[in-house]
Amino acid sequence: MTEQLLPVFILLPLIGGALAMTGKLFRPLASLFRLFSLLPLLGVPALLVLTAPGVFSGQTLMVSLGGWPEPCGISLVMDGFAWVSAVLVGGIGLLVALFALSWPKYDSTFFLFYHLLLAGMYIVVFTGDLFTMFVGFEIIALAAYVLIAFEKTPTGLVASFKYLMLSSTGILFFLFGIFLIYRDLGTLSIAVVRDALAEAGGIRNTRIIHLALASLCVGIGVRTAFIPFHTWLPEAHAYAPHPVSALLSGVLIKISYFAMVRLLLQFGGAYLFDLLLWIGAVTALVAVISALAQSDAKRLLAYHSISQMGYILAVFSAGSAVALTASFAHALNHALFKTLLFLTVGTAVERGGDRNLYRLKPGGRQTPLFAAAYMIGALSISGIPPFNGYVSKNLITLGMKGSPAYILLWITGFCTLASFIKLSRIYLPGPKAAEKNLPDPVREDVKTIKRPGFSAGAAVTILAALCLGTGIFGFSAAGILHRLFYGVKIPVSLSLFSREKLFSLLPTVGLGIAVFFLVTSGKGKTLASRIKNLAPNLETVLMLFFTGLLLFSTAAYLP
Amino acid sequence: MTWYLIGGIFLLGMWGLLSKPNMVKKVMALSVSNSAIIIFFVYHGSLSGETAPIEGGGGPMVDPLPQALMLTAIVVGICILALSLVLIYRLYLQFGSLDIREVEKKAWKLYD
Repeated sequence: MTEQLLPVFILLPLIGGALAMTGKLFRPLASLFRLFSLLPLLGVPALLVLTAPGVFSGQTLMVSLGGWPEPCGISLVMDGFAWVSAVLVGGIGLLVALFALSWPKYDSTFFLFYHLLLAGMYIVVFTGDLFTMFVGFEIIALAAYVLIAFEKTPTGLVASFKYLMLSSTGILFFLFGIFLIYRDLGTLSIAVVRDALAEAGGIRNTRIIHLALASLCVGIGVRTAFIPFHTWLPEAHAYAPHPVSALLSGVLIKISYFAMVRLLLQFGGAYLFDLLLWIGAVTALVAVISALAQSDAKRLLAYHSISQMGYILAVFSAGSAVALTASFAHALNHALFKTLLFLTVGTAVERGGDRNLYRLKPGGRQTPLFAAAYMIGALSISGIPPFNGYVSKNLITLGMKGSPAYILLWITGFCTLASFIKLSRIYLPGPKAAEKNLPDPVREDVKTIKRPGFSAGAAVTILAALCLGTGIFGFSAAGILHRLFYGVKIPVSLSLFSREKLFSLLPTVGLGIAVFFLVTSGKGKTLASRIKNLAPNLETVLMLFFTGLLLFSTAAYLP
Repeated sequence: MTWYLIGGIFLLGMWGLLSKPNMVKKVMALSVSNSAIIIFFVYHGSLSGETAPIEGGGGPMVDPLPQALMLTAIVVGICILALSLVLIYRLYLQFGSLDIREVEKKAWKLYD
């Protein structure tokens, strides 16, 4: 019976968007309607609780829309993966909306596209066929383009246009992959395609479907942002409004990654794992080196998103059951701490009026809550106990056991720490006198309020508490994830806070501090500005895209 | 033969996307490629029968699914095209140029 609830997930954000737009009719009440538009999002946790018993008992909930059964109709499917993804979209979506609520410059139009983005993500999560997935991706893309350019800053516009060009090209190939599958198998339902492939003796026996799966992966790969498709992300995530950056980095790239995992597992794409493993590890390392070189606070965070996606992809491609759980655990943890980091750093940028982390005045004394929350986020992403990054990095170590690519991830670990020591100066307790120079927030124009309101504080507090909670109870949380995916107890044990584990962190911390001093030295800064200037323009971006396409197609045809 | 022709249209669009620095031309090239994919679907559908998929038309009907899917794809394509033209218009107002190389150079200089 609970499967009838699945369309409601998609309906709720759409109602929210409609409510936000109603605020445009009654101008004086616009801010009230912004608040109302969040109410439907509160229904999502209830839906998740209602569907949980079915999913945890190992069922796959399925409903056909409009009474047309598969393979012609559109069906929505909820299994363990989809449930976890829905938790991610619902939770982070609500918290980021709370944050956006406290800044008046994000008006009704902003919330309309925000809700549209959430609806698109639910469509991608729950869809049972490839074409609806395509439509979901395009809804996400449309909303994301508008939101990135929402503040109409020149850089935001360019970033949005660059993202549009690259992801439209990617989605063209996605559509081409759909065409190849339809031509050969005459159906687009993921379950039916899976059965047809199994009947034909696996994907390795069907030469055209190889190419189709490679095209699908490339199309989704652009959204997931691993090398060589990562080039749009630093600009799009850095120059978007802060809540949008948080949502894009925290949730959107995970949703497309989950979609890719689903297709690869269902269609038997295990032959791509070797390629993905190295792509993931190289992505992690290259992106973190670029991040170390950045002086723009939000751009640094954006490069870290790519780097962490590299971790997630690499450990998934290690192939074992524990590796998949570790990959999802790190994806969820990354969603928590990266959202937290983008919101707190965004607040600092907003308050200081400058994005350069060397010019930005340290603001730990003015906004102590945000400074504390930022520190928790920074410690989480660097993998310091007892926060959640530490747990999932340990799980990744378990999942990658024996793989030669692990050394790249280990190097990434201490470089991450170094770049967050570098970023931390924006939240150091600054000089006391700085307080007086700030303009009085009451007298300012409503549109230019520089200080976060109550709901923003609540959002970051909840996120920080979650980072700590999933850090302390991290291993039990991973156990729940494993049970959800496979229906069995997680086959490894991990004593997270044993003495040896904690001592083994020492080299990482030491090297991190050493790298930090190297980067901030004179020579390091020259090298950094040279790396910074390597940021590719649109021509290079498109060439990289086609190189990646070639790579994936070749991998499909290798024996 | 027809397959190669449609493939040629697709590649033409990709060539335009890569080689033209003008933003409007880039977007139009993307639209051409998109149309090629749509024609792929519709042509494949048209091979499956002889008459339009309406009950009582006589003769074997074509598979209606590709047409239905492509209606959606066309609508999505139009949305993207319209939005990208708006973005280009805004960019032109900001930077006074349609050349993407020039626009990017100016934009990244603004910060940092």
